[in-house]
Amino acid sequence: MALPPPDPQFVLRGTSAPVHTLHFSCGAPEPDIPLLFSGSENGFIHVWNLKTHRVDTALDGHGRKSVYCVETMGSKDRLLRQPGFLRLQLVDNLFHCNSQGRDQRICFWDLAEGRTSLTDSVFTEHVGFCRCSLLKVAQGRWLIAMAARSLEEVGSQNFDLEPDQFLFVFLMSGSDFGAAIQDVSLYLETRGGCQAGHAHVSEVMAVFDFAASGDKAEEWELGELSCGSQPVLLAGYEDGSVVLWNVPMGKALSQLICHQEPVMSLDFDSEKAKGISGSSEKVLSIWSLNEQQNLQVYKTHELVNAGISDITIRPDKKILATAGWDHRIRIFGWKKLKPLAVLDYHTATVHCVSFSDHSNPRDRLLAAGSKDQRISVWSIYAQT
Amino acid sequence: MAVFDTPQAAFGALRPVCVQLTRAQTVENVEQLQAHLAGVSGAALQELQEYVLFPLRFALRVPGPKQERLVQSLVQCISSVLAATCVKKQELLQELFSELCTCLAPPPSSGKAAPLSEELKLAVIQALHTLMHSAYGDIILSLYQPSTLPLLGFAVSLLLTLAEQEKAKQIKISALECLQVLVLQCDCQEHQRLDEDEAQKCGDLFASFLPGISITLSRVIAGDIKQGHKTTVSAIRLFYLIVGLVMADKQLARIPKSKEKLPVEHSRLSELMIHRGPDWTKSTAEKLSLLLHKVVESSSVHPHWKVRLELVELVHHLLTNCNQSLVDSFSHLLKALVGLVNDENSEVQSRCNEVLQGIGEQRIVAQNRALADVLSENLHSLATALPRLMNSQDDMGKVSTLSLLLGYLKLLGSKVNIVLNSVSHLQRLSKALLQVLELDVTDVKIVEARRSGPPGPLQQGVQKSRCQKKYFRFFTEEKVFQLLQQVCRVLGYYGNLYLLVDHFMGLYSESSLYRKQAAMILNELVTGAAGVGVDFLQEREAPLSVDDLKGSITSILDEYMDQANWYLVTSIDTEESSPEQSVQHLGLAVRARGTSSSVLHLSPEPPVTTRTMNSNIWQICIQLEGVGCFAAVLGKEFRLLLLSALYPVLEKAGDRTLLISETALGTLADICEACGYDSVRSLINENSDYLVNGISLNLRQLAYQPRASQVLDTMLRHSDANLLPLVEDVIQDVLSTLDQTYNSQASTFLRVLHSVMTALDEVPLAKPEPSCDTGEAPMPSHAQLARDVMERCIHLLSDGNLRVRLKVLDVLELCVTMLHPHGNHLLPMAHRVWPALVTRLISDDPLAVLRAFKVLCTLAQTCGDFLRQRFSKDVLPKLTSSLLSQAPVSARAGPVYSHTLAFKLQLAVLQGLGSLCEELDMGESDLNKVADACLIYLSAKQPVKLQEAAQSVFLHLMHVDPDSTWLLLSEVCCPEGYEPPHASLRPVKLSGMGRPRNELTDNVLLLLQRLQQQEGTAPSSSTQEASPS
Repeated sequence: MALPPPDPQFVLRGTSAPVHTLHFSCGAPEPDIPLLFSGSENGFIHVWNLKTHRVDTALDGHGRKSVYCVETMGSKDRLLRQPGFLRLQLVDNLFHCNSQGRDQRICFWDLAEGRTSLTDSVFTEHVGFCRCSLLKVAQGRWLIAMAARSLEEVGSQNFDLEPDQFLFVFLMSGSDFGAAIQDVSLYLETRGGCQAGHAHVSEVMAVFDFAASGDKAEEWELGELSCGSQPVLLAGYEDGSVVLWNVPMGKALSQLICHQEPVMSLDFDSEKAKGISGSSEKVLSIWSLNEQQNLQVYKTHELVNAGISDITIRPDKKILATAGWDHRIRIFGWKKLKPLAVLDYHTATVHCVSFSDHSNPRDRLLAAGSKDQRISVWSIYAQT
Repeated sequence: MAVFDTPQAAFGALRPVCVQLTRAQTVENVEQLQAHLAGVSGAALQELQEYVLFPLRFALRVPGPKQERLVQSLVQCISSVLAATCVKKQELLQELFSELCTCLAPPPSSGKAAPLSEELKLAVIQALHTLMHSAYGDIILSLYQPSTLPLLGFAVSLLLTLAEQEKAKQIKISALECLQVLVLQCDCQEHQRLDEDEAQKCGDLFASFLPGISITLSRVIAGDIKQGHKTTVSAIRLFYLIVGLVMADKQLARIPKSKEKLPVEHSRLSELMIHRGPDWTKSTAEKLSLLLHKVVESSSVHPHWKVRLELVELVHHLLTNCNQSLVDSFSHLLKALVGLVNDENSEVQSRCNEVLQGIGEQRIVAQNRALADVLSENLHSLATALPRLMNSQDDMGKVSTLSLLLGYLKLLGSKVNIVLNSVSHLQRLSKALLQVLELDVTDVKIVEARRSGPPGPLQQGVQKSRCQKKYFRFFTEEKVFQLLQQVCRVLGYYGNLYLLVDHFMGLYSESSLYRKQAAMILNELVTGAAGVGVDFLQEREAPLSVDDLKGSITSILDEYMDQANWYLVTSIDTEESSPEQSVQHLGLAVRARGTSSSVLHLSPEPPVTTRTMNSNIWQICIQLEGVGCFAAVLGKEFRLLLLSALYPVLEKAGDRTLLISETALGTLADICEACGYDSVRSLINENSDYLVNGISLNLRQLAYQPRASQVLDTMLRHSDANLLPLVEDVIQDVLSTLDQTYNSQASTFLRVLHSVMTALDEVPLAKPEPSCDTGEAPMPSHAQLARDVMERCIHLLSDGNLRVRLKVLDVLELCVTMLHPHGNHLLPMAHRVWPALVTRLISDDPLAVLRAFKVLCTLAQTCGDFLRQRFSKDVLPKLTSSLLSQAPVSARAGPVYSHTLAFKLQLAVLQGLGSLCEELDMGESDLNKVADACLIYLSAKQPVKLQEAAQSVFLHLMHVDPDSTWLLLSEVCCPEGYEPPHASLRPVKLSGMGRPRNELTDNVLLLLQRLQQQEGTAPSSSTQEASPS
C-alpha cells in the first residue's frame, strides 16, 4: 500500500504577501548558516535562516513591486580574485504586474559580511512574467538571459558593473515568433563542440557587456570563454512553443510547439539533453534535443488538474517537482516521469518550487512558495 | 642545691660517688650518683661523660646474676647522663647500644629464666630511646653499617617481641616508638634529614628486617582491642613508615641490577644483606599485599576514630611513596580510603577528602596506568556485585557501597574511559545503575490526581522548578539517590559523552523496563558533562565543547520526543483516551515503517493497567525534567532547540494528569531561565512562530488534533496583539480542519475557537480606517475571523452532542460581541443563525435554552429591530404556551420535581425571559403575553425557585413599562385604596381591591413594594421608560 504523503518539515510564515520565487543557498560548509531567499509580491526579498527558521534580513529594493526571481552568485570566485572581499550577490528580476510597466529591473545586492546594499540595477521595458536565467560560463564570468522589448531600450543604458563579469543576453519578446516570452533558461551545450564565434546582435537577440560602457560586446568570444562548450538558451513562449537559441550566433536553432496554451515554465537537463515544460493546460511535455540540435517531443504526461506555474529538476537529475495551480506540489521521477507523490498543504496556487543545494544529500530540502503567503519546506526523497 | 658549672668543680663533686660506685655496685650508690648528676650543668657533664658512664657500664658488665633493681637504676642513670649530653664517639655509641640491648635479653645461660620486671624493660627502652637521640650529628649513621646489621637486628627483634607480647600498654607503646626512632623515622624535629644516598643505604639495611617488622606489626594491629588505640596507632604508623621507606619507588628505581659486593671480611654479613632487585620487590609486594589487606580489614572497622585516621595516613603515605611497587595492594587501600569518606567521624572524613583531593590534584592515578588498572578492576568487581548488594543491603549499606563506587570514579578521573571502553565493564555498570534506579510505580494516586477544571493560566513569573519526588523500588533514603546522581554526573563529567549517551540510548530503546532509569541517567550524564553540580577531585583535561554537548542533547531530545516515547497512555479517560491511544498506535506504525523497524513494537498492546499508566506518567515526567536540564546546561544556546522542543513541552503543560502538567510547567520555567525570558508569556510570545508551525502541522493529523488545539489554546492565553497575524493564519487552518472533521473533533476545536474569540475580544483593536474610495470601512481582520468562526457555529448549532451545542452557543455569543461594531456583516449572519437558534430556544435541553437566551440577549443589543419581529413570531408563542401548560404540573409537584428536566426548562425560560423582553424592547401585546404566562408562577404553590424566577421577569417588566405592570399586578391584588384627589374624579376601582388573600398575594405584594421603591428612587424613570426611544 502506498504510504500517505508526508507533511512539510516546517512552514515559513511572515512574508505577508504571495511568494513568487525561492532560492536556496546551503552549499557552504559549516559554520555558514544555510539560507533560503524568498521573493514576494510586495517587493520584499526575505532571507530565511534555515537553522532558526526565521527571517534574518528583509531586502526592500523593488518599490513594492513583485519579485520574480532571486539567484545567488557564489562568493568563492570573487574571493579568489579579490582577496578579503567576500561578496555574495543576488540578482533578482522584478516585474510589475500592472500594465504601467517600465520598471522591470534586475538588482544586484551585496550581502557579504552582513551588508544589505543594492549595488546596481538594470532596467528593461519588458512586460511579462518571464524570469531571468543566470549561467556561470567560466571563472567569474556570468551570462544573464532575460526577455526584453526592443533593442533600442536596452542598448541605451549605461552601467558601471564590474568589468568582464556579466554578459547580458536579451531575447526580444514578441518578435519573430509573435508571442511573448514566458520563461528562459540558459545551458552550456557540451556536445556541439567548440564553435568559436563572436557575440552577435540581431533583431531578436542582443548580447551586451555593460562593462564595456554599453557597447555591443562583439569582442567577447563566448566560444573561447567556455572552452569546449557553448551557451544555449531555451525560451518558452506564450504560443506554447519552446525555442532553442544559440547565444553566440544569436539565432534560433530549433522550435517545437509543445503546448496549446502558453508555456509557464521549463527546465532542461543538459546531461540527458532532455527538457520539460509546463503550461496552463493539463499536460507536461518532455522534449529532447537530438544531435542535430533539433527539439523533438519525447513524451507527454497528462495531469489531473490544469496549470503548472513552475517546474524544477533536482540538481542530481533524479526527481523533479512541479508547482500547481491546484495548490499541490507534484513529485515525479525524472527518468520515466513516474508520479511519486502529491504534496498537499497549500491553500492557494503554488507559485514556485526549489530544491536546496546542500552538499550532504541527506539534508536536501524542497521548498514551495504559494499565493497563500506561506513557504512550505519538505524533506522528501532525500535518501534516494 | 649547688650547681657545678665548670668541669673541674663537677669532677670534684662526682669523683667520690663514681669511685664509690666502682667499688660497690649497689642501688644506693647509683642513686647517689644520680643525685649528684642533678647538680652538674650540661656543659660540664659533657666533659665528664665518659668518666661518669664508666662506673655505670662497669657495673652492668660485671659477670654473674645481678639484682634487677640495680640494673634498672643503672640504666636509668645512664639514661639521665645521655639525656644531658651528646655521644660523640662511634665506638661509645655502638657499645652503649649493645650493652643496653643485652640488658633486655634473657641471660644466655639460663635459657628460660624468670621474666624481667616491667619497670626494667621500660627503663631500658627509654634509655635506648635517649641514646638514639643523644648521638651527635651523623655519628648515628655509624650504627647503620652492614657490620652492625646483626646488632640492629637483635635490637629490632627485642623491641618487636616487647611490642607484641607485653601486656603493659606503656611498654608496648614505648617499644614501638623506640623502633620508630631506630628505623630513623622519629617524629621529632631534632634529627638531621638523611640525604638520598644515606636513605638508600638504610633502606637496604632495613629490607632485612621488613618481613619481621611487618608481620609482627600486622599482628599487633589486628590484635586485641584492649591493647588500646594508641598502640594500634603507633603500630600502623610504624608499619607505613618502614614499608614506605623500604619499598619507596624512588629508592627501588635506583637499585643496581646486581648485588653490591662487600669486602671479603663481611662475607657472612653479605648473606644477611638483601638486594632489593625486581624479584625481591615483586615477592615482597605480594606478601605485603596480604599483610596490608589484613591491616586494612581490621583497622577500617576499628571502633576508635584515631585508628581509622591513621589508616587514612597509611594509604596516603603509601600512595605517595610506593604507588608503583605496591600497586597490587591499592585495590584494598583505595577501597578503604574511599570507604572512609563517609566515616562517622568528621575529622576522618575531612582528612580523607583532603587525601583524595591531593591524589586528584597530583594526578597520581592519571599518571599511573597500573593504578588506574587496579581501580578499574575494583570498579568492575564492584559493578558486578552492585545489583546483588543493592538487593540485599539496607539503605546504610547502599550508601557506603555507592560512595565506594563514586570514590572509584572520582579517583579514576579521566581514566574512567578505560573502564567505559570495555564493553563488559560498561554493561555491568549500566545494568547495575538501571536496576538500582528502578522506580516504584505502584502508587495509584499518581494516576488519579487530575488537574481540576480547564487549564489555568500559566505562571507569569519564572518559578524555579523542583524535581518531582520519586519513589524507588530498592531504596527510600534520599542520600542514596543523591549518590546515584553524583555517580552519573561524574561519569558524564569525565567519560566520553558520545559513548555514554549512545550506550544508554541503546538501553533506553532496548526495553521499556529500562526506559525510565535510562532517561534519568541520561539527564544526569548531560548535567555532569556540562560540569553542573559535579563534585570532582581533579578537573578534566579538556572541557566538552558546546557543539558536542548540543549534538548529544539534540539526539536525546529527538528520542525523548519521538511519538512512541512522548505520547503514552496515561489515563483511561473517556474523553481523552481514544485519540491518545490511536496516537500510540499511529506512533508505533510510524516507527515500524521507519528504518528501525523492530519486532518488539509490533507486539499487540497489553491491556493498560494502572501500573503501566503510572510508569508512563513517570517516564514523561523524567523526560520533561530532562528537557529542563538540557536547557539549563545549554543556556541561551537552547533557543535554537526551541524550534522542536517548545511545542511538545507546551503540549504536556496542558496535560490532564496533574504530575505531568506540573512537571511541564517546571520545565517551562527552566527554559525561561536558561534562555533568558523573563516569563512564560514572553517565552511563548517570542516563539509563537515555532508553535504555530507545530500546531498547523499537527492539525493535519486527525490523532494529534486535540493536542494541537490544546497548545493553541495555551498559546492564545499568552499572546497579545502582536501575534494577531500569525494567529489568524493558524486559525484559518483550524477552521479548514474543522470543516473536514465536524463530527469527531468539534468539541476540541470549539474550545480553541472559544479561546481565540476570548483572546481577540481582549486585544485592544485599532479603529478601522475608512477608505476613501468606497466610503465603507473595510472589515478588520479580526472581525473577518469572527465572521468565519460564526459561519462554522451555524453548522454546529444542531450538533447531536449537548456539550458541543453549549460550547457553540458560548462561541457564538463572543462572535456576536466581536461583530457588534460591524452591523452590516452581523445582520446577514444573524439572519442565517436564526433558524438554528430558534430550535435551541424552543426545543433543546434547558441548559442550551439558557445559553441560547444569553446569545439572544447579546444579539438583541445590536439587532433589536431585526429580532423583535422574529422573536415574537417564532419563539415567544411557544415559550408562553409551554410555560402555561407546565404551570399546573409544577404547582402540584413534590420536592423531587426540582430534579426533572421539565423543571429546569421552566426555570431557564423564566430566568431568561425578563431580560430578553427588556433587551428586545418588546411591544405591548408581547409583554402582556409574557406577563400572563408568568403570573401563575407567582403562586405560592410553585416551587420557590420558579417563584423567584417569575419575580425576576416582573422586575424586568417594571423597567420596560412600570405603569402597565403596576396595573396588571394591582388587578390581582391591591393592598391599599386610592382616594381620588378631587371629588369630581371617579373613585379608583381595581379588581384586585378587597380580594381575599390568595396564593398570589405574597409575591404580588412584594413586587408592588419593589415597584414603589423603584419609582420613588427614580421618579422620572417611568416617563423615560414609557417614551419610545
